[in-house]
Amino acid sequence: MIDIPYAIGVIAAMAVVTFGLRALPFLAARFLQSHPLVQQLGRFLPLAIMTLLLLHTLVGSARENPSGPWAEGVAAATVVALQWWKKHPLLSILTGTALYVLLRNWGP
Amino acid sequence: MPTPLLPTPDPHSPRISVLSLSVPVAMGYVPLGMVFGFLFVQAGAPWWLAITASLLVFAGAAQFMMVPMLAAGLPLASIAVATLVVNLRHVFYGLSLLDKLPKQPWARWYLVFALTDETYSVLTTLPPGTSTRQMVTVALLNQGWWVLGTLLGALIGAQAQIALAGLDFALAALFAVLAVEQWRSADSAAPLWVAVVSYAVAWALVPQQALLIAIGLSVMAGLLWHKTGVKELTP
Repeated sequence: MIDIPYAIGVIAAMAVVTFGLRALPFLAARFLQSHPLVQQLGRFLPLAIMTLLLLHTLVGSARENPSGPWAEGVAAATVVALQWWKKHPLLSILTGTALYVLLRNWGP
Repeated sequence: MPTPLLPTPDPHSPRISVLSLSVPVAMGYVPLGMVFGFLFVQAGAPWWLAITASLLVFAGAAQFMMVPMLAAGLPLASIAVATLVVNLRHVFYGLSLLDKLPKQPWARWYLVFALTDETYSVLTTLPPGTSTRQMVTVALLNQGWWVLGTLLGALIGAQAQIALAGLDFALAALFAVLAVEQWRSADSAAPLWVAVVSYAVAWALVPQQALLIAIGLSVMAGLLWHKTGVKELTP
């Protein structure tokens, strides 16, 4: 179970951080527009962060899977290939998840 | 979240264009909101907490990221830092909307609050001269889809006793989709390889804090990447 006061604290902190980020340009427009380091990070980080989140959830699933990490690898590769080819997020997510559930529960 | 392909609005029928702009967003937000609500409740949270998160935070990727972090009981400060990093890109959305958003304080600040990837893409697609009311309507509709999806998913998640292992792979699949879209629009694959190496190093050092350490390593690499001038800035 999740501790409710802790969860409310987390939601409040996330709300403040998210709103702060979205409001920042309106408060500090000139600084951000003129700061190349901020722009550079903004171009570099999104792909890095998404890759990290993907790796982290895959590693987490693989650790709970007694039959090894191959199911995670196959399902993730399927999602990546499908998304690259079809550009349809919902199709990629549903196909990958269904394949993974299949492999996890009825796989060899 | 990937930017949906939006139909070009017809300036002569603004009422219809506002609704039609929100439809592709609904097709993404309702199912994804359902996945969030479902996973959040399955992780052990009550349904109203899922709604609260979608009402107050309203940030897709960050809310998905929060599920495993909350379940693992990570310190509040680490979750705040992770939110900061995941949503950092939102800083740049406002820059192109500085002159476009309405001046009335309530409308302006609600639109700033609701500036998700999708709302941003819709607002930048609206023709010049779009009324304050229409802009706010688009943002309210978008958040409405997200909250509706969350509610549906949370209610299903509260009822279902899921015996199937691996349904939470939907999260990994979502991150894979977002990574592919970031990769497609990136001008270099360097961030991807930096992330892979960072995670391997962080995992070897402290497996329990691998994500946070890897994010720190990637931020440092991102700063160095700039300093060595491997890639020239083309604004």
